[in-house]
Amino acid sequence: MNAFQIILIATLGILAVFALVGGLRRSIGRPAAMLILIVSIVGILAAADPDRTTRFAQKLGINRGTDLIVYLVTLVVFQGFVVFYLRLRKVRRELTLLVRHVAILEASSRNNPARTPEDAAESDGSDP
Amino acid sequence: MSLDSGYVVMMKRPPHTPTPDVKPDLDPAVGDGTWIIIPVFNEAAAIREVIGSITPCFKNVVAIDDGSSDRTWEVLQDCAPHALRHFVNRGQGAALQTGTDFALARGARRIAHFDADGQHRLEDLKTMVAGVAGGECDIALGDRFAGDASEIPTTRWLLLRAAVLFHRVASGVRLNDVHNGLRVLSREAASSIEITADRMAHASEIIDLIARSGLRVREYPVTIRYSEYARAKGQRWSGSFRILIHYLVGRMAG
Repeated sequence: MNAFQIILIATLGILAVFALVGGLRRSIGRPAAMLILIVSIVGILAAADPDRTTRFAQKLGINRGTDLIVYLVTLVVFQGFVVFYLRLRKVRRELTLLVRHVAILEASSRNNPARTPEDAAESDGSDP
Repeated sequence: MSLDSGYVVMMKRPPHTPTPDVKPDLDPAVGDGTWIIIPVFNEAAAIREVIGSITPCFKNVVAIDDGSSDRTWEVLQDCAPHALRHFVNRGQGAALQTGTDFALARGARRIAHFDADGQHRLEDLKTMVAGVAGGECDIALGDRFAGDASEIPTTRWLLLRAAVLFHRVASGVRLNDVHNGLRVLSREAASSIEITADRMAHASEIIDLIARSGLRVREYPVTIRYSEYARAKGQRWSGSFRILIHYLVGRMAG
C-alpha cells in the first residue's frame, strides 16, 4: 500500500465517522449522512484493493476499475448539483418572500407610525 | 386553453378586431379604485417624470424600489404616493407581486402594471383600465403589434415574435404580444394570480397563469415609446436566453 492510498483511506475513514456521528446526532440529515457513508466505504474499498474494483467493473461489462470510478463520481456529482440547485432555488424563494414581507411592513409602519404614549393619550383622552 | 369555469376566454383575437374606443377621460372613481404598480430599479433619472404623468389620473401609485444602487429610493420617497423598498434586488416579478399584495390589502379594485422607464403611454393605460372597469374583460394586456409598431427595433421585433411563437407551442396560448409590461387586472384576477418567478421570466409565468385561470383576457393596442433611454434599459439577446432558461427550469421544478 503506497502513501497516497493511506492518505485517501484515512481521509475517507474520517469522513465516514463524521457522517455516522452526524447522522446519529441529527446534525446532518439522515439521507445525506447515508450517502456520505456509502460513498466513503466504497471509496475505502476501492482504494485499498484497486484490483477488486477492476474485477467488479469487468462483471458489469466495464473494462477498467478506473472507468467505473469515473462513472460513479460523475453520477454522484450530478446528483449533488441537482440537490444543491433545488436547495438554492428554495432559499432564493424564501429570501424573496422575506424581502417582500419586510417591504410591506416598512411601508405600513411609515403610513401608520407607532404612536408615542403622549399621542395615544391625546387621541383617547386618557393621561399619558 | 380552458373554456370552463363560467368565463369566456378571449385569447385569440380575430385579425381585424376593431380598435376599442379610446376613452381619454376616465371616471375619477375608476381612477381612484385602480392602483398602479411600478417596479423600479436604478431609474432615478426617469421615475419622477413617469410618476408625475400618472398621478393626475391615478392617485394610488405604488412604486417599488427593487434594491436600486442609485438615488431611486430618495426620489421615490419624494414623489411616489406609496413607496416600497426591497432591501436587496429580487427582480421585477417579485416587485410586481409586492406591489400587488400591498394594493390588494388596501382595497384596490383593479391593479395595473406599468414600466418605470417611460415607455408606456397614459392614454393606453386609461383605455385598458376603462375596459376592465367596464366589464369588457378581467385582464387587459397591451399589444404593441396592434398599435403603432413602427418604432419597434428589428431585433426586438424578432425576439418578441419568437416569444409569441414559443408560448403558442409551449403553453397553447394565442396572444399577439406576450411580453408587454402594460397590464390591467381586476381585483379577482390579481388575487388569483401569484407571481413566483422573481426575475424577468415573470412575464411568461403570468401568461401561463392567465391561461390556467380561465379568466377573460383581451389585448388592447398600445404604443411603446422606444426612447434611447428605454432602449438602453431593455432586454438583450443574452437576457432573453436567460429568461428562457429560468422559465423552463421554473416549469420543470414546479
